[in-house]
Order: sequence, then structure tokens, then C-alpha cells
Amino acid sequence: MLSLFPANDYALIAVILGMPLLGAFVNGIWGKRLGDSAVKLMTLTAVGVSFAAAVVAFIALAQGVSEQNDAHVRLTWNAWEWMHTTGGRDGQNIPIDVKFSIDQLNGIMMLVVTGVGFLIHLYATTYMAGDKGYARFFAYLNLFIFSMLVLILADNLPLLFVGWEGVGLCSYLLIGFWYESAPNAAAGKKAFLANRVGDFGLLCAMFLLAHYTGALDWNGIANGASSLVHPGEPWRVHVWPIGGGQYTGVLHFLQPLKPFTVSAATAVGLALLLGCTGKSAQIPLYIWLPDAMAGPTPVSALIHAATMVTAGVYLICRLSFVFVLSPFTMMVIAIVGASTALLAATIALVQNDIKKVLAYSTVSQLGFMFLGVGVGAFAAGFFHVFTHAFFKACLFLCAGSVIHSMHARIHDDDKAQDIRRMGGLRKWLPLTHGTFAVATAAIIGFPFTSGFFSKDEILYRAYVDRTINPMASSPLFKHFKLYEPPTWIGPVLYTAAVLAAAMTAFYMCRLYFLTFWGDFKGWTIGRPSLIAKQELGDEHGHDDHHHEDLTSPGYPPHESPWQMTVPLIVLAAFSLFAGVLNPGFGILKEKPLDHWLEPVFKAATEGAVVFGHGNDAEWAEHLEWTLALGGIGAFLFGTGLAYWMYVAQKGKPAARLAAEFPGAHQLLLDKWRIDELYDATIISMVDSLADTSAALDKTVIDGILARLTALIVAASGTILRAFQNGVVHMYAAMMVVGIAGMAWFFAVPHANATVVDAGNDDYVVSAAPGVGYGYRWDADGDGLPDQPDFAEASSVKLHLEPGKGPITVGLEVRNAFGLVKRKSISVARPQAPISSL
Amino acid sequence: MQSAEHSSHAKHDAPLTIGPSQLGAVVAAAVAIAIAARFFDSGVPVVAAVIIAALVPKAHGWDVRGPIAAMAGLLALFIVRMWPGAEAAAPATTANAANAAVGGHTLTWIVAVPLAGALGILFMPRQAHATLRAATMTLMFAALVLALPLLHVSMGRGYHFNEDVMWMPRFGIHYHVAIDGISLWLVLLTVFIMPVATYASFGTIHTRLKDWCFALLLLEAGMLGAFFALDLFLFYVFWELMLIPMYIMIGVWGGSGRIYSAVKFFLYTFFGSVLMLGAILYIAYAYARVNGGQPSFDYFELERLMLPRHVQIWLWAAFTLAFVIKVPMFPVHTWLPDAHTEAPTAGSVLLAAVMLKMGTYGYLRFSMGLFPEASAEFGANLAGVAVLGGIVYGALCAWKQTDVKRLIAYSSVAHLGYVMLGLFALSQASLEGSILQMVNHGVSTGMLFLLFGVVYDRRHTRQIDEFGGLAKPMPVYAVLFVVATLASIGLPGTNGFIGEFMVITGTFASHNLGHFNGVQAVGAAVGVILGAIYMLMVVQKMFFGPITRKENAVLQDINARELVAVAPLAMMIFVIGLFPNIFLSQIKDAAARVQNDFDGRIMMNPAPRYYEGPIRLTSPRMEQPRAPTVEPTVEPSAERSVEAQAQAQAAVPAGEGH
Repeated sequence: MLSLFPANDYALIAVILGMPLLGAFVNGIWGKRLGDSAVKLMTLTAVGVSFAAAVVAFIALAQGVSEQNDAHVRLTWNAWEWMHTTGGRDGQNIPIDVKFSIDQLNGIMMLVVTGVGFLIHLYATTYMAGDKGYARFFAYLNLFIFSMLVLILADNLPLLFVGWEGVGLCSYLLIGFWYESAPNAAAGKKAFLANRVGDFGLLCAMFLLAHYTGALDWNGIANGASSLVHPGEPWRVHVWPIGGGQYTGVLHFLQPLKPFTVSAATAVGLALLLGCTGKSAQIPLYIWLPDAMAGPTPVSALIHAATMVTAGVYLICRLSFVFVLSPFTMMVIAIVGASTALLAATIALVQNDIKKVLAYSTVSQLGFMFLGVGVGAFAAGFFHVFTHAFFKACLFLCAGSVIHSMHARIHDDDKAQDIRRMGGLRKWLPLTHGTFAVATAAIIGFPFTSGFFSKDEILYRAYVDRTINPMASSPLFKHFKLYEPPTWIGPVLYTAAVLAAAMTAFYMCRLYFLTFWGDFKGWTIGRPSLIAKQELGDEHGHDDHHHEDLTSPGYPPHESPWQMTVPLIVLAAFSLFAGVLNPGFGILKEKPLDHWLEPVFKAATEGAVVFGHGNDAEWAEHLEWTLALGGIGAFLFGTGLAYWMYVAQKGKPAARLAAEFPGAHQLLLDKWRIDELYDATIISMVDSLADTSAALDKTVIDGILARLTALIVAASGTILRAFQNGVVHMYAAMMVVGIAGMAWFFAVPHANATVVDAGNDDYVVSAAPGVGYGYRWDADGDGLPDQPDFAEASSVKLHLEPGKGPITVGLEVRNAFGLVKRKSISVARPQAPISSL
Repeated sequence: MQSAEHSSHAKHDAPLTIGPSQLGAVVAAAVAIAIAARFFDSGVPVVAAVIIAALVPKAHGWDVRGPIAAMAGLLALFIVRMWPGAEAAAPATTANAANAAVGGHTLTWIVAVPLAGALGILFMPRQAHATLRAATMTLMFAALVLALPLLHVSMGRGYHFNEDVMWMPRFGIHYHVAIDGISLWLVLLTVFIMPVATYASFGTIHTRLKDWCFALLLLEAGMLGAFFALDLFLFYVFWELMLIPMYIMIGVWGGSGRIYSAVKFFLYTFFGSVLMLGAILYIAYAYARVNGGQPSFDYFELERLMLPRHVQIWLWAAFTLAFVIKVPMFPVHTWLPDAHTEAPTAGSVLLAAVMLKMGTYGYLRFSMGLFPEASAEFGANLAGVAVLGGIVYGALCAWKQTDVKRLIAYSSVAHLGYVMLGLFALSQASLEGSILQMVNHGVSTGMLFLLFGVVYDRRHTRQIDEFGGLAKPMPVYAVLFVVATLASIGLPGTNGFIGEFMVITGTFASHNLGHFNGVQAVGAAVGVILGAIYMLMVVQKMFFGPITRKENAVLQDINARELVAVAPLAMMIFVIGLFPNIFLSQIKDAAARVQNDFDGRIMMNPAPRYYEGPIRLTSPRMEQPRAPTVEPTVEPSAERSVEAQAQAQAAVPAGEGH
């Protein structure tokens, strides 16, 4: 296989990337003309062929890996030279090419994106049937797959950025897919802007990396990464005073005695982290993801659960060798992950919208992934990306199936997604119920499902792993104190994660029980006597909002067609069994996924990620089962509590709790009012700054520069106009004054002279001419006139040798009235340039 | 396709039927591809042409598809031919073209065609609208075609197409024109965007058409001349020449407040220009004093002047003020929103796309070329103004505008902040990025103005609140507008990203900004967020959400003329975004030369970095084109220019000895 496409020119990548792009083009341009069935064919072919090509590429990769004894293998394809920039300490040229590569890490990601992507496309072809924007939807969706593939296959950071922004754009377009409703468009804009804040971080990371490592492609960054950590002052990023300058101005007391600097690795890491929190919906930028549920459900499954939102985790894994250079950044990542997991889980406890619960659970699960990569367990974090893609996609698609069936009768989107109107659906949607149950089991960590293995691995590693600076042993740092994360951070992170896991188990089971168990509360199920005519022509029409009486009897909810259930079954199967790829607890002698990813992370983790307790491997191994009890306990507690509350007691304890603590309940329902907090602080700050700028521009800048100058001119005109008033006396008086002035000028002699360098050390002093002027010179500087009488010669030439001092030339001017004016002019050689002294 | 047009009112999802006419079209296309493939080295342009033609929405017939296909084909041909390294395949033809072109009068012809055309238009009958339009378009295409040979030459470090004729010997005024890698793309942008804007304007300008055509052609000649001129006097002549037609265009065909805006525009620009004229005269006079009384206005001669600080800062200030007003930079930017708002669509397009570049180009060529020490002294401070006053302040102001054209005008202030920042930072990448960003801004902002003109013609209002939900009645228009928006906010893959990215990374790598390179780079990156805020606000309010006014519900989608006018700009967005190396490869060496010259001058002098002593001349430099002979401009190799620099440095202490 590798002989057909050599590893350094693996053009099959063009097929993997090109098919979705082709699909986007065809559907976007001709979609309406082609008709829905052709669009369906095109879109499925595009993603399907892309998936097939990805499988082929993956097999070739595996072959290459086994041939090269588990080395880090890259299949690269350099499409064309894109641009270049300046970087490195000596300002060398950094070429930036449109270059793609497949290695062990993004090979798996590529399979997930195209594979899960294909299933969701298949699902969506039925789910979206009859929508007016059918072709547009699949154009966007295919464009998304293309962008996502660019993101993961890119071989350098700017090209990754193309995909990064591309998926953001598709997300923007798809959230606002039903753009005629204003909140949808607003949610899209919010997502784009939150991502842009992250992109700002990514841009900063790019110029820092370009400057400090002199490269922007993965290999180049890896080679130059060591220069990101250096104790020398010029190698560090000066935060305060800015840029390391020393000021002597009024505010000089503001600068500390010792400048505050951070290592370039920390600066790059934090900037990248900002980008990742934007895309992966972590604190502080997670606020866009719940709103993003305004998009169609397959979009939520594909973009906002399975693929795009994991891009941040992917980027951290991809640049793991940069992150580990800064243990501080690693600690921040872990803390961000753990706190996001907790915060989102608390919000999910009380939400009633089926998609909102899943959205917060996504945020929370992404927090787990961040926690994993933050403690240096990159493979564990990535494993959770992998399993999460299956079970969360499955959950969302099940939710879509549920909404689909609810929509048959309830046309209002908000009401159709309200779990308080559901219940007992397992009777009518057996397949959906089954797959939902399996995926729920996976996410809550039911033992031996995929989610159990991936989550437990993260919990375990959060407790035992410790990141230290891999450069710490270098002699360079003998006299330099490197940051080390505190030892108590591991147990704290573990506790937070167990709490979040318990809450996950609770809210997911709550969702499951409220939706599928108990009694159906949507509408009265009964004889379809009235229904026949109502359902004519409005099957799932989103534009058809006639209010019907839900108390009148109607058909029970119906199971979805096979195009929707087959993806559910496949995804549920993967949710159940994907754990075998990386089971912990010594079930397999060697964890296959860890082993597969080892070459990618080996360079990063070596010397950087150690076990706590003095790197005691035995201690860590002994703790594995003990720590797993936390995860299992969380699962048991959360599930049991949910069962007791919502099945055994039929939701009464929950209602009682809500009634007893109305403030806390409302606060959780309002998502801790973080949106309001942002609105009140940063957004209103920028807003008032913009208001001020606009007002300033209108009044001060334009007022002074345009209007004030115009006013001055107009005022001068007004004053001068007073003299031009047509009164002859005034003119005569002005003339007299003028003539008197001129008479005075001509009556008095003016002794003005200029000195010109005539070359050859000669200087010519020439006096200004005047009517009837005579001149008497004193060119030798003795203070006496050279000749007794005034003469016609109006200039005099001097010779000044280099090194000779200035000569004072005397000039006397006599005019026709016999008045004399004297002036002395000092002639000196101009100073020689300093360099010649 | 003809029958597809007939059935355009049929149901949307009617399946595609293939009739005889479609078959005929397919066969004809296949034959055309086969024939064209013979003439061109590869079939890429033809394939591109066919694909793009097929992409045109079905409401349009071959009168639209044809021109758009031709444009796509030509652009594809351009990419194939201009691909870096492609010239190696055909070295003979390139060299021949260069040799043939260098001694000729190519540049003179490019300026002369519109200039003579403008005069010729004066003798045409006022009523003959069709003839006037045809003549104007023909002349503009002629200028475009004449400018194409410029692409045949690999620009390198040197100047090309040099033509130097003595004009007024007594004052040392030459007719000296030449281009290098910096002006090349600005010239091409001008000849490219003029026909676009002109064509678009013919749909809306019906009064005083003859005057309009005259103004357009005169403007084109003025702008081209200003980019070509290497004699300061000649530059000034062209600089003022382009002021007049724009003044007339705003004042005659503008909106309701046109007189105020036109006068404001004129006074602001003229104020700077007059100061620059004074500085030009002074510098020529200073040259005369050290050159035995013979003045010169030639750029290369004046570049050799060594000016002490107290002289240089004033001259620099006079030049820079003129350019900064034109750019415009904070705080002298307030003429721009007024001028843009009141100008007719084509006027706004040309103002944004080309005229503003005159300021940035002038700063790069003249302020930095003639007064490097002063530019270095004040560059770091001005970079702060470019970031805070341009990128951040401009974006914040843009956000709060309720008038779409004002908003785009403020976005120009922000975008040109990037350009100026790149010039002040003066690292290799930032300089290249800046020059490319000048072209990018011309394309994407030009497209935004052109597109806004479309709805303005339909609704005659510029208020954002008057629109809403336009995506439904005008889907194709909405797509194009979103594309232009994305280019404007610098989405990777579009042209805006390349320029911004290079400027930002280049700024961080710069040594010319003191300690502030990091802060300036971060500030410029903040502009990326702000840009998205205000542009998405416009898109959301104009296109999404429910239709709030019933007059918007029945708006006609973009028509054939408008589509043909916008298409080349839309294509350019992606051409530059995906293949920037075509452009950068021509810019690269010229940017390196500017940087070397600049650093050379700075390094030449010790600590205060200014030359101290009487005004004097240094030895001529290598890139200076020689006398107006037929001799081809020899591109000096890297070592030679290093040698020249060493000589220049050695010359200083020896020059004024003991």
C-alpha cells in the first residue's frame, strides 16, 4: 500500500479531504436543482468515500508503524507552498505550506470524524427530510467534515488554524441554520465570538512559537521546543514592565525592582489553552455551547459533541511536547478541566431541556478530558475523546429521535424538547430506548463499558500523576527555581472529578428515567379519530406552528425509520465495547491504544510526567483498584439516588428539594448566571468603551480638527471683513497706515547676510541687496573695516582651514539716506561627524 | 441551460432535466476545452472557467456566465503562469519579455491610455450614453491589458520598466517612472478594480454620464501615475491630479450631504499635500546646495541626501502628515466616514480600494525611503497610534455605527491600522504582509462597498435597522456578502488572514518597536476579535432574523450586472487567500531591499542614529536604475548589494575628514 502512495507524498489525503469539499460544493451550488434525493446521495457518497479512504490510509499507517518498530510515523502530503513569515531569534524565513500529515494520533481522530460523521450524515438525511434548506444543510455539514479534517490533518499551526476557523464558521452557520428566528442567529454569533476570543489566544501562540522556536510545523516546533525554556532574561517573556524596558518617567515607581517574567513555554501554553477553551467550551469560554443547541440535533451530535469540541483536546495532545515544558500551564489545564467538569455537572442537575442536559454533560465530559491531558495522561484524555465521540453522539441522536417523535404532535421546539412532557417512551421507542440506555451506561461509568475505562483512567491518573519540568535536571537551571505544582493538587483534582462523576451519574439517570420511564405526559394517547386530517401535510414541518389542543387524544409517539436507528445501534455498540481498546486494571497485558499512541507522546511525557510519591511506580500500581472505587462509588451513588428520586419516589424528593431551596434551584436553572455576569462585566465594559470611542470621535476629534479649525478660519474672516466694509474713509486710513509702514521700511537700512559653503573650505558671505545700499566689510575679523569707504561689493569670500575657529565678519550697510546699520556674522566650519573624531 | 432558465419559476426541487440544449452546451464546452488546452500549457484555466460558469445561479443566462467564466479562466491562467517556479519552465519567454519591456514605454502607455481617453471623452457627444460607456470600458480594459506585461518580469530587488526623461532641466525635474515589487500589485489592483467599479457604476449613474466617465478616467491616470512616479515633482502632480476627480465624484454624484463631505475630503487631503509640496521644494533646494546649484526631484538622487536631525524631522513630518491623512490614521481620519458615506458606490470602492493605499504606499516609499532615521525615531510611537487609534479604536467606533457605509469606513481605519503597523514594525514578514494587506483591503472592502451599493440602489437607505432577514429574498447576495465579511474579518483561507497573520507575526519579530513589539502584536491580535464583533453584527442584523419591513420581503436578488461586477473580487479573495505565494514572491525581494536600505542607513550612523553635519550626498546605490537607456535593469546579486552597503558605510568617515 505504501508503495502506491509513498509516505512522504501520500496523495490519498487529497481524496480524504477532497470528497467532503466536493460534496459541499455540489450541494451548496446545485443542491436545489438536484433535488433532495440527489443531495442525499452526494452527501453520503462524499463522507462515505472519505471514510473508506481514511480506513485505507489508516491501514497503510499501521503497516508503516509495524515496519518501523513502533516509531512515530507520518504520512505526509505537501499540496503547495502557501506563505511564509519571519521568526526565530535571527529573523529567518519560516515557510508555511499547505501540508497535511497522518500519524498515530490524528489517524484515529480521522477515523472518528469520518466514521461517526458518516453515521450522523446517514441519520440526518432522514431527520432533516422535508426541510426547506435540505441542500444547504448538507452543504454546510460536508464543509464541516472538510474543515474538521483540515484541522486534524494539518501539519502546521496556521493550516490547523484554517480548519479551526473553518469548523467555527460551519458551526456558526449551522447553529443559525434556521436563521429566520432571531435567537438562533444570535446563538450562532455568540458561538463565533466566543471562539474568536479563543482564536486570539491561538494567534498569540503562533507568533510566540514562530519567534521562540523558529518554526510553525509540528516537527519544527518539536525541534525548537527546548528554546522555550531558558533561564536567561532575553529568552523569557517580560510581562511587567512590558517588554523588559526600563522607564524613567513619572510612573517609574510602578515597575518592580525585579521584572516579572514567565517562560516562553508558559506564555505559549496559556495562549494555546485560551484557544482550546474557546473551541472545547471550557471555563471561561464555555458559555456558547449550551446556546449552540439551537441548531438541528444532528449538528449537536456531530459538531457540538463528537468532533469539533474535542479539537481543543486534540491540539493539546498534538502540542503535548510544548505544554509539558510548563508544569504551571499543565496544572492550569487540569484545574480548568476539573472545575468545568464540576460546574457544568451542577448546572445539568436541574435542566429540563433534553438537549441542554446533554450539552452541559458535553461540557462536563470535555472537562474530564482536559483534566486527563492536564495531568499529563495524554493517552487517557485522548481515549476519553474517542469513547465520548461514540456515546455522546449516540445520546444526541437518541435525543433527536425522541424529539422527532415528540414533534409529531408538539411543534414548538422548546416544548418538544422538555423532558417534563416526556416519560414512558420506552414503550413506543424500544430501539431508541435501548441505545440510549447503553450510551447512558457508558457515560455514567457502568463497569466495563467504554466510558468506565476511559473515565477511570483519568481519575486514576489525576491522583497519581505529577508533571515536572523536563528541563529541571539540565545544568542550565542549577541556579534557577522552576515552578513545581503542589503535591496536594492530585488528591484535590481526584476528589473534584469523583464529585463530577457522581453528578454525571445522577443527571444522566434523571434524564433517562424522566424520558423513558414513568407515564407519558406529552399528550393524551388515544383513538386517532381526529388525527387524520391534522397530520396531513405537516409531518415535522418546522414552519407549521398551529396550536393544537394537546389534551385531545392522539397517536402514541412512533419509532424512527431505519436510517435513524441503524446509526444509533452502531454507536451504541461502540459505546459498549470500545473500552476493549484500552482497558485498565491489567485486563490485557498491554493496552492497545496506549501502545499505539506511545510514540506520539513518548518524547513529551518522558521526564515530564512522573508518578507522585517520588515517582514510585509500585505505589501508583497499588492504588489503581483503590482509586477505581471512587469512580464506581460515584456511579453507584448517582444512579441509586436518581432511581430513588425519580422512579421509586416519582420525583417527589426533587420537587421538595427545589421548594426548600428555591434560591439555589433557581441559580442552577439560570446556569449560575454566568452569562449575566459576563454581560455585566466584560461585555458591558467593551460596550461602553465603544460608546465612548464613538462619542469621542464625533465630538472631540471631529469637533476639534474639522469644526474648530473651520471656526478659526471663519472668525479670522469675520475680523478681516470689518476692514472691507466699503467705507472710503476706512480704506484711505488703511492706505495711510500702509504707506507709513513702507516708508519706515525703506528709510532704515537692513544688514542681513547669508553664509554659503562654496566648497574647497571657502565660504561666501553675501549681504541682502537694497536700493542705494553701500557695503563696508570687515572680513579678517579684526574689528575694523577693511576699507574706509562704503562700496558696491555685496559679498565677501573667506577661506577657513579645517580646524580653525570661527571668524567674526563685520558688515556695515549704508542706505541712500546715509543711515548705517552694523552687524557681525560669525562664520564657522560645520562640525565634523562624530564618527570621524 | 437555456431551458433551465425558462423553468426558473418552476418548483425548487424539480429534478434536473437534460434537454438537447444542455447536451449541445456540454458538447460545445468539451470542444472549447479541447481547443483551449492546445493553446494553454494546461487545461486548468479552462476547467476553472467551466466550473465557475456552472456555479452561477440558475437565474442567469450565458450573458452572465460567459464573462464570469472568462474571468475565472484568466485568473486560473494567472495562477498557473505566476506560480513561483513556473517561470523556470519558460525562462526564454520571460527573459525576452523583460528585455523587451524594460527599455520600452510600457508604463507611459498605461498612464497615457486613460489620460488621453479622459481628454478624448471631452469631445464626445453628451447624449451618447452607450458610446460613452463603451469607450470608457474599452479604455479601462486597454489599461488592464497593457499592464499585464508587468507580470512577465520577475521583480526581484530592483526597479523595472524604467523610463527617465528630462522634463524641466533647469529644475532637475524628470519624467521618471518605474515599478518594483511594492508598486507592482498596487498598480495591478488599480487597473483591475477600475473596470469593476466603472461597470458597476453604469447601472446607477445616469446623470452627467460624460463627466462621470471623464472623472473616472482621470482618476485612473492619476492613481497609476502616482504609483509609477519616482520623481517627487511628478509624484506630486499625479497626487493632486487624482484628488480633483474624486472631489467632483463625491460632490456631484454623492448623497444628500455631498457638498460638506466633498469639501471636507478636499481640505483634509489638500492640507497635507501642501505641506508635502513645501517639503518637496525644500529637499530639492537642499539637494541643489550640495550639488553645485543643480536641483533634482529624482527619488534616487534625493535618497542619497544625508540630512541632520533638525532638518529631517520637519521634512519627514510634512511628508508623513500628508500620507497619514490619506491613509487615514487617528486622529486625522474623520474625513473618511463622511466621504465614504456620501460618495456614490463606485467612488467609495475606488476611495477604499486604491486611494487610501496612496497614503500607505507614500509612507513606505517616500517617508521611509528618504527619511529613514526620522521614520525609525517616530515609528515605534506611531505603531502605538496604529494599534490603539487604528485597529482598536477604529473597530470600536465601527461597532457603534448605525450607517452601514460609515461602519465599513471605520473598518477601513482598522484594517489600514494593520498596514501601517506592518510598515512601522519593518520586519521582513510584516512588510510583506503590509503590502499584501494593501491589496487585500482593496479587494475585500471594495467588494463590501460594491455589495452594499446593491441594496442601497434598491432601498436608498444606509441604516442597518432598515434591513433584516434579507437572506430570504436575496440568498445569492447574502452568500456573497458573507464571503466579503469573512474576508474582512480575516478568516483563514481568505485573503484577509494572510495579511493580518504576516503583519502580526512580523510585528512580534520586529526590532524597530523598542520594547513594545509584544504589546503591539497582542493589540493587533485583539483587533481580530473586534473585527468579528462589528462585521457579524452587520451580517446578523441585515440578513438573519425575521423580515421586519415588508419592503424588504420583495427585494430582487443580485442582478446580472452586479453579479458580473462582484464576481472578480469574490474570486480574488480566494486566489489571494489560497495562493498568496504568487503575490509574495514578487514582493519579497523588494521588501527585503527596503528593509536593508533602512537598516543600512540606521547602522551607518552612531548612537543618536542621525547623521550629524552639513547636508551631503552619499554614493549612488545599486538598485538605482541607470540613465534612460535601453540597457536592461540588471538585478544585483545579494553579495553585490552587501558590498554596496559596505562601501556606503565606509564612505561616511572618509567623506568629511579633518
